[in-house]
Amino acid sequence: MIENRPWLTFISHSVLILGIIAVALPIWVAIVASTHPAEAFGQGSVPLWFGNYATETWQTVLFSAAGNGVDVPVWQMMFNSLVMALGIAFGKIVISLISAYAIVFFRFPFRSLCFWLIFMTLMLPVEVRILPTYEVVAKLNLLNSYTGLALPLIASATATFLFRQAFMAMPGELVEAARMDGAGPIRFFFDILLPLTRTNIAALFVILFIYGWNQYLWPLLITTDDAYYTLVMSIKRMVSVADGAIEWNSIMATTILAMLPPVAVVIGMQKIFVKGLVDSEK
Amino acid sequence: MAAVVLNKVGKKYPNGFHAIPSIDLDIKDGEFIVLVGPSGCGKSTLLRMVAGLETISDGELSINGTRMNEREPAERDIAMVFQSYALYPHMSVAGNMGYGLKNRGVDKEVIEQKVNDVAAMLDLSHLLDRKPKQLSGGQRQRVAMGRAMVRDPQVFLFDEPLSNLDAKLRVQMRVEIRQLQRKLGTTTLYVTHDQVEAMTLADRLVVLNQGHAEQVGSPLDLYERPATPFVAAFIGSPAMNLFSAHLQQNKLILGQNESIMLECDHSFEGQVVWGIRPEHLEVTETEGDFKMRVKAVESLGAETLIYGAIEGVNEEVVLRLSGPHQPEINSNIELNAPQDKWHLFDANTQQRL
Amino acid sequence: MTVTFPHKTLPWLLIAPQLLVTLIFFLWPAGQAIEQAFYQEDAFGLSREFVALENFIELLQDPYYYNSIGVTLVFSMAVAVSGLSIALVLATMADRIIRGQMVYQTLLIWPYAVAPALAGVLWWILFDPAQGPIALWLEYMGIEWDHFVNGGDAMILVVIAATWKQISYNFLFFLAGLQAIPRSLIEAAAIDGAGPVRRFWDIVFPLLSPTAFFLLVMNIVYAFFETFGVIDATTAGGPGQSTKILVYKVYEDGFVGLDLGGSAAQSVILMMIVGLMTVVQFRFIERKVQY
Repeated sequence: MIENRPWLTFISHSVLILGIIAVALPIWVAIVASTHPAEAFGQGSVPLWFGNYATETWQTVLFSAAGNGVDVPVWQMMFNSLVMALGIAFGKIVISLISAYAIVFFRFPFRSLCFWLIFMTLMLPVEVRILPTYEVVAKLNLLNSYTGLALPLIASATATFLFRQAFMAMPGELVEAARMDGAGPIRFFFDILLPLTRTNIAALFVILFIYGWNQYLWPLLITTDDAYYTLVMSIKRMVSVADGAIEWNSIMATTILAMLPPVAVVIGMQKIFVKGLVDSEK
Repeated sequence: MAAVVLNKVGKKYPNGFHAIPSIDLDIKDGEFIVLVGPSGCGKSTLLRMVAGLETISDGELSINGTRMNEREPAERDIAMVFQSYALYPHMSVAGNMGYGLKNRGVDKEVIEQKVNDVAAMLDLSHLLDRKPKQLSGGQRQRVAMGRAMVRDPQVFLFDEPLSNLDAKLRVQMRVEIRQLQRKLGTTTLYVTHDQVEAMTLADRLVVLNQGHAEQVGSPLDLYERPATPFVAAFIGSPAMNLFSAHLQQNKLILGQNESIMLECDHSFEGQVVWGIRPEHLEVTETEGDFKMRVKAVESLGAETLIYGAIEGVNEEVVLRLSGPHQPEINSNIELNAPQDKWHLFDANTQQRL
Repeated sequence: MTVTFPHKTLPWLLIAPQLLVTLIFFLWPAGQAIEQAFYQEDAFGLSREFVALENFIELLQDPYYYNSIGVTLVFSMAVAVSGLSIALVLATMADRIIRGQMVYQTLLIWPYAVAPALAGVLWWILFDPAQGPIALWLEYMGIEWDHFVNGGDAMILVVIAATWKQISYNFLFFLAGLQAIPRSLIEAAAIDGAGPVRRFWDIVFPLLSPTAFFLLVMNIVYAFFETFGVIDATTAGGPGQSTKILVYKVYEDGFVGLDLGGSAAQSVILMMIVGLMTVVQFRFIERKVQY
């Protein structure tokens, strides 16, 4: 700091702590709520301190049925979410890596046409073209399937764009040196390019995992079979039951379980994630 | 070891720009050739055409008698040291040096043996497990050279390899490169814009200007008998003094009102460029060929550089004297320009007379 | 980049998967949306009729559509402004702190990972008119709160939930922006006699403005397209039309109302808006390179 002003530092800490409390408030209430039986809700305030029903709520939700009209247990939906998130993250990374590689390191006819076809998708979220995409997926017989959950969401150019940037920033002499050393296109990809972009890949993985895990509208539309429900969308089904009958304790437990994996990934890979997010969007 | 022949080699870019019209060059086996010239003269393009990183638009390149134009860089049996060194950041020093051999399918033990030998020669043995990031500039330079040497190629190509080093290290590495090349006897093509580097390294230099080879010759050739004013100005530091003058009836006339007129036994008549090196001007106590008014003095200890203007004509001149001297600013110095040290060029054709 | 590999078939093999996915799941649907926008279809999909621009004209005469545009603008501006200002305050404070900065960062960034729908549900329970602690506290303070009945309350609720999730993102960019400001500039200003507040407004804020503008665009994009979950899980566009943003209306008219032509026409308009925003963003990126 330029000058030492203890009161300024004190204010800084206070504001940040206040911010953290405000940000964490809903989580506090959610955790507390999950420790009470369903009957504790609807009369007076939502409980603000822990009850003693935690084990029961969590056990039921995790292993038997999430409740509120959703008949599958949370662990199964968690598995579905995981398949979808990993499918989207890996799928997107792989096809983006190789297509960016083709665009940057090769010259072929219609290269710029391909480039523009892909890049048109850059910012168009699935929500905007939701109905026709649904129809296409229905025509392809992909409703209620993992492929249908993941594949349409892979069609976005953000990752391709980022890899293209990373590849173009690679020093030209390095590529030339590899060519002089006799590395062909495949060897170059695996020996040089992949190791040198691994931090980009890791950062992108975090971002895409979260993106995939948190998908809501798409799984809501294409899954009608409980067996393919993802965790995040199941919340909608759960809160849609008749008012008053909502089992808030199990909803809150499910909510916490639904946010746990992506939050863990963000916090666990914080450094890579922060760097990747801030660098990639520039 | 190999001879490299460039036969009317030219480079034309798709946008129509003729970077190199046509160059002929015969490089003998084991020769150290330096391509030198200002930035944008085409020296790097020429080197990259030999490397196979740029296509050759016209003419033919052959190494050891075999046409190379269509060959991939890896198939030309050449090795290159890059300006940025281009070390693979994720590989160890040993990995960097052995990568080319690995791609050729050479046995692991053989690679290790060769890497160890070269590392010992370059004093890198204790660094083999390090990553490039953990090395100093000079060490990285050596690794880049080691990577080239391990392959034991027919030709070494260097693209301004010393420009990222500090001055002291540059001198040291310069000497080292020269010694290594002598020892290995590998034909070498070396690009630089630094004429000191060029003079000290080369068996023969090629001075390039706008894609043309202005002159090819040994360093002393170029110093003593530059073929054009461009070479004259480029080779030597400080640069040669060049004046536009007029030759008429065995008289060299400087300045507009004929204020300086020198005897000259050359029979040429007309506009010329007259040059004399700063170290060839002689100070005299009596009246000399012309007077110089001192503007600035640089004392370097072993020698003194004196900058000034020739009295009577509006021309800048530099004088180089050995040992320390302390002339007053604005004082006049009488100078002689001995005729056997002159360089005369036809002003129209730019050729030496 | 001049260094390329000479190869004829390999690049096609490499680019094929992405091209295929793009063609099947992007261009085909987008093309269908555009085609559908010019047709009127009966609810059972049995017959359809070319109606030229009628879907668009109908849309532009529909007061609900204008309402939805208004709702979207209010919603996105509220989310962007509140999200940016809260994040800027937090980032400025965090930038002052040397020890413990990482801890604060960790505790502030995790909402980024929470799905919008979950954010909506979490804030719903806090504001639930019957039992939410905040709603009850508001009532105690004499402020009526019922987001199931009152459109304004519903809007406030979705803005809070959407903003809460976006603060992390803004915070990270502001903090990175602040840390990228050369220390020597701040020191020079301090030597010139500028106090902390003055320095912020004279030096820091102008230098942050590219970041702020970038974030403004990103927040609007977020509010436009990525907050579907917040709204669907809490208010479902209601009460009435009060939180029905454009993306929600596309979905509802298409899937619930089965007005395929109308929904497609809305999709086409949204695609144009996205295109426009992309252009703005690219322009901005280009400018920032020079900055």
